[in-house]
Amino acid sequence: MHSFERQIIYLLVMLVVSIPIVMKQSMKPAKMKSADTLFQMIEGLPVDHSGGAPEEIALLALDFGPNTKAENEPQAEVVIEHLLRKRIPFALLTLYAPGEGFLTSIPERVIERLQKEDPGVRYEYGRDWVNLGYRPGQALFIQTLAKSKDLRSELKKDVFGSPLKDIPLFQNIKTIRQIHFLAEFTGLVGIFDFYVQFFQQDGFVPLFGHGCTSITIPEAYIYLDSGQLNGLLEGIAGAAWYSKLLKDAFPKRPNDDALVTNTALGVAHLVIIFLIFVGNIREGYRWFVESHRHGGDAV
Amino acid sequence: MSWELATVVIGGFATLAIYSFLVRENPFYRFFEHLFIGIAAGFFPILVFKNFLWPKVFEPMFGFTVVTFPDGTTSAPYEPLNLLFLLPIGFGMLYYTLYSRRYSWLAKLVIGFSLGYSGGLAFKGFFAEMVPQLTGSFRSLAVFADGSFQLFATVENWIFLITLLSVMYYFFFTFRFASESAKGVSVTGRWLMMICFGAFFGSTVMARMALLVERLQFLILDWSEAMGSLVV
Repeated sequence: MHSFERQIIYLLVMLVVSIPIVMKQSMKPAKMKSADTLFQMIEGLPVDHSGGAPEEIALLALDFGPNTKAENEPQAEVVIEHLLRKRIPFALLTLYAPGEGFLTSIPERVIERLQKEDPGVRYEYGRDWVNLGYRPGQALFIQTLAKSKDLRSELKKDVFGSPLKDIPLFQNIKTIRQIHFLAEFTGLVGIFDFYVQFFQQDGFVPLFGHGCTSITIPEAYIYLDSGQLNGLLEGIAGAAWYSKLLKDAFPKRPNDDALVTNTALGVAHLVIIFLIFVGNIREGYRWFVESHRHGGDAV
Repeated sequence: MSWELATVVIGGFATLAIYSFLVRENPFYRFFEHLFIGIAAGFFPILVFKNFLWPKVFEPMFGFTVVTFPDGTTSAPYEPLNLLFLLPIGFGMLYYTLYSRRYSWLAKLVIGFSLGYSGGLAFKGFFAEMVPQLTGSFRSLAVFADGSFQLFATVENWIFLITLLSVMYYFFFTFRFASESAKGVSVTGRWLMMICFGAFFGSTVMARMALLVERLQFLILDWSEAMGSLVV
């Protein structure tokens, strides 16, 4: 293929994919069974209305950086939004250094959106969520966390340097047995494996949800199939379907970017399929002409 | 110009510079490529120092976590046991003896330690990960739910079993059965893997397109708005 033809293809893909983004058009996403399961799982988590320090919390690991932000960020956004709406307290951390910025930006953005939707609603740092920041050590850290008899003394401080013993959300949290739900968002299978392998204590494993990138979907299915995962968000498509479920459950909720992104992605797929079709027809035609020309020469 | 605005403007130029490679290699692309590599290399050590080494090791070791009040009292007495941090730090620093011909053998101690704990972790992790997958592969070949036969689930389990056995046979290199049916199993395994690779390729394309969509969203929505505010 000539370089010129390649550039035309790049331009065509960019132009076509831009249309839904410019027009802010979104189509109904395809139903994703594993995202459905994750949604129902979070719906079923116990909610403490007493207003006191929680006995159980959720833990969200945002182990992604700018390289897989396109897929993991919308996934983390919808799950965080769901937890906030349900008033399920959660802690955020990352084992991947470039992911630290997302621990602050995503909850802030989601809360801003929720407060715009309902100006009366209030979310409080330390009660509704806690940012534990970047934690080095990977497998060793997860194992230490899983074995810990006192998470507060193990984790010590949040990202702002406040001791966890002073943070209401962590007042009653001692071991990972009080983490009823674990969600991990990453495109790095290696980091995801650490949670599967080590985030358990004497047979206790929390409900486990995972947001993976499109590339790692086939590998994530292995864990879903074996029951090591309880719910899965598959790339943008999973986030878009989850977003639709949130919209159904909370009708006042405006559409978010996940639906537009998913529509643009669908358009991109159609373009790729079209190009594969055209490319094969062209190559087939070339082969046909070449073979007949040689056949003619031979005669 | 605010910091956020500057970030968006520079981010947009960086994105366009990297995409300019699609036209041809050029100095604009080269500059941002090197800038990106430099930032990535510098970012990680700073983050580890700022978020881990300083608050978790050096601060308590030097006693900076102890606050002295105006009346001369302190928030907590200095903990001399924190000086024990020096032992693992010193042991880890032996890695740098690699640069000395005479003392490079000391680095092998650290490497041996790292290999030992990595091996132990991998061993434990393997069983924690694989045993549920192994037990998960034992499936009923006739699925019934609420007393009725589930055709779809049954077919699904049969496909799973056939794929598992034929692919395992394809990778069974110790000895081969020469019969046609055994060859057929092997070929089936290969074809099923080809279908799997096709799914892998499709999902890879999907991931790459998702990255493109995200960058286009950034350029069209955020960057164009930021550039517009600069012009106005």
